[in-house]
Amino acid sequence: MALVDVLLQVGLVVGIGHLLGYWLLLGDPAARPSGPAQGLQQRVAGEARRIQRNLRAVVPTLAVLVGVLAVNSVVRDIGVELSWLIGLNITRYIFLLEGQLVAVIQSIATPTLTAYFGFVYVFGYTFVLTFPVLAYLLTETLQPVRVLFTAYILNYGFGLGCYVLFVAYGPRNFMPELVEPLLYTAWPQSQLLVQQVNTNTNVFPSLHTSLSVTVALVAVQFRESHPRWTPVAILLAASIVFSTMYLGIHWATDVVAGAAVGWASVALATRVGDESLVRAVRRWRDRRTDAASK
Amino acid sequence: MEQVSVQIKTLPADSDPFALRAARTIAAWYNEAGIDAQVVPVSEEELFRQVLLGNDFEMFLARGRGWNVDPDSLYSLLHSRFADAQGWQNPFGFVDLDVDGNLETQRRVTGAERRKAVAELLRSIARSQPFTPLVFPDDIRAVRRDTYTNWGDVDLQTPQGYLALQRATDAEEDGEEQTEVLRIMSTDRRPTENLNPLSAEYRRSGVVTGLVYDALGHVTSEGTQPWLAASWAFDRTTEGPRATIRLRPGATWHDGTPLTTADVAFTYALLSDTSLGSAGETGETDDDAAIPAPRFQGRAGLVSDVDVVDDTVATIQFVDCSPTVAARALTVPILPEHIWTERTDPASMAGIEVSQATEALVANNIPPVGSGPLRFRRNTPRESLVLEPFPEHFLADPDTTDLPDGVGPPPYDRFRIQFVGSDDAAIGVVADGDAEVTGTPVGTDAVPRIGRNDGLELVISRSDAPYLVGYNTQRAPFTNPRFRNTVARLVDVNHLVSAVFDGYARPTVTPIQEGRWVPSDLEWDETDGNPVTPFIGSDGEIDGGRARQAFRDAGYQYDDGRLLRGS
Repeated sequence: MALVDVLLQVGLVVGIGHLLGYWLLLGDPAARPSGPAQGLQQRVAGEARRIQRNLRAVVPTLAVLVGVLAVNSVVRDIGVELSWLIGLNITRYIFLLEGQLVAVIQSIATPTLTAYFGFVYVFGYTFVLTFPVLAYLLTETLQPVRVLFTAYILNYGFGLGCYVLFVAYGPRNFMPELVEPLLYTAWPQSQLLVQQVNTNTNVFPSLHTSLSVTVALVAVQFRESHPRWTPVAILLAASIVFSTMYLGIHWATDVVAGAAVGWASVALATRVGDESLVRAVRRWRDRRTDAASK
Repeated sequence: MEQVSVQIKTLPADSDPFALRAARTIAAWYNEAGIDAQVVPVSEEELFRQVLLGNDFEMFLARGRGWNVDPDSLYSLLHSRFADAQGWQNPFGFVDLDVDGNLETQRRVTGAERRKAVAELLRSIARSQPFTPLVFPDDIRAVRRDTYTNWGDVDLQTPQGYLALQRATDAEEDGEEQTEVLRIMSTDRRPTENLNPLSAEYRRSGVVTGLVYDALGHVTSEGTQPWLAASWAFDRTTEGPRATIRLRPGATWHDGTPLTTADVAFTYALLSDTSLGSAGETGETDDDAAIPAPRFQGRAGLVSDVDVVDDTVATIQFVDCSPTVAARALTVPILPEHIWTERTDPASMAGIEVSQATEALVANNIPPVGSGPLRFRRNTPRESLVLEPFPEHFLADPDTTDLPDGVGPPPYDRFRIQFVGSDDAAIGVVADGDAEVTGTPVGTDAVPRIGRNDGLELVISRSDAPYLVGYNTQRAPFTNPRFRNTVARLVDVNHLVSAVFDGYARPTVTPIQEGRWVPSDLEWDETDGNPVTPFIGSDGEIDGGRARQAFRDAGYQYDDGRLLRGS
């Protein structure tokens, strides 16, 4: 089945990306307590233990994230119906605002650029979302991974709200005579994957942009822990943000809104996100155990 | 005074390869003439909900139905008695007494007289423009040539097309133990969510529900021929024609219940009032309170009464019309009484008022119980639908002889429709050998792609369903026929054919294809284009001065190049 093939390809490429990233971007001997003399086996074993410990500590936040993703996938289906009912169809307003900007961006298209941007849109994006999880689970402090997860939660929350409130088609759907669906012409099967997670009426804001910006901002904020990851994250995020317009999938308006959502999510997550969320979950859990023991 | 502004509702590029480009081209012409026109992309289901059910539009651009089958299909499309009805019953809210008169005449007369009435009718609507027919497009599909041999000869716009496919012989030999699956890629996800033949907003051509539900007759080039009915005979009463229908022996529903003429009588009663008389307040007559099925209101309205003689024989009394017209009523899907009798209560749903809909109209009807050659197996909403052959169908019976050419039992064990986001992806999957056919037509970009791929074959078929621009004639400024006539002249259909359809379409003056019914003065002129509403300009360029003059002649004013709403 074509979808399975695409999934395997993405899994394989992103898996290799994680290994490479682990070696090249995280392998910072100075940051590790046991020093360079340590063998590979010990390093991996030690880090596996740390991941385990950190993972246990962020379980509440992770649970909320998983919950939000689950709700997201269910509500996405209902949300489409609901947004036709109560949402505002803003496609033509976006067009009035920015006109043919995306078509102008596409005028630089070459097969090489299309291959690059198609690659970062599908593979790069998956990598950018998953790699920092691994990276921050390896750090001594829990704060980065908590901020990351909380920011992810906020991104999906904002996104979902907007998707219900606004109906918007992307440029490839609105001005097909000017904007090519470059990704789907170059690699049709990728749409089988993309349609699993996206609906073509949900382009405002761009979640690709907001999540990439989130990862880049978090990478800058915690650049001490993985200094080599930070420039890579920024470069990848910038490429992904640009690719959404280059491929004709998003309007520049979606990208600006997406960047704002990403920035707001990180700002919020840094201030309130981690501790209060954890406390709230703990309180709720305690109350339940209290209630159960009564 | 305000500038004239219109929203053109149409389908996004993912759902229709041409509609949005055509709408944007037309909007640009309107802008040239001083009209503030904007294009609003809307999903197919939502477009039909807003336009056909909710009357919530100024203009729309979409494909119509195949009105070519018989000009009487224009009766429900344009007669003023349907101006407030839902579905493809006069969605334009159009009222014109001349048109009404000709629609009524063509029903009753035959031969040259009928042709004359139809010609008059077509002339009237070409002038008054309740809608502007644009083109009859070619349907382009990509198919795999290695599994079935006769893709080019079957009509994939009809259920019968999918029953006339012939498996390639080598595919049959090595597939002996395997389950043969006909895999169809579709950019229309609605059949995976809803299989209700009465839902106007969920059906396009009705091919899928047509495979699950049999009708008494089916449409052929020689008129309506018996299908679920073994035969019928027409005679005439004082009221109009009457048909005595004989069902095929042993007909059953997919759940094993016998199919009888009681189901036939029930179906016509339900289609003309899905509440079966239970809706409405005391004091209202039955007709006022009736909630007809929008998809079949025109055809069901031809039937005045059904009399059950015995389980397999019934007589159908028609209203005053010719037998040819009456036979159109025999092409509606027959529904099982034991299922649908439970669905006559009022329902509420987006776009329809509570009092305007019954369960029968809004049920998703999954799983469906039909009597057709394919029965439901499973569905995954928004992803796929799987049907399988119904072994007790008359097509599977070797004793059935009077079948149309090439039609036989389904040559596959599964019929699987898979939704895919765009036609590019649909072709990609077929090219990879993961599907046999793109069920929904694809855009012209696909033509060279299909040509380059050895395993793929290009199937191009002429379609009966035209693209059209519909106007809400009950909303200013479209209430004014002169205004509609003038905006029709802002559209250069020849330019659309070359720039949007890449030549894969034929321009048209009328909603019916040229041939038997279209008089020569309504034929498209190669050089001059539309003889009734000629384009104001040339080669896709509006002549601004002439356009403004045309609107001034129609009684409108300009202010600084902006067309103003009438006083």
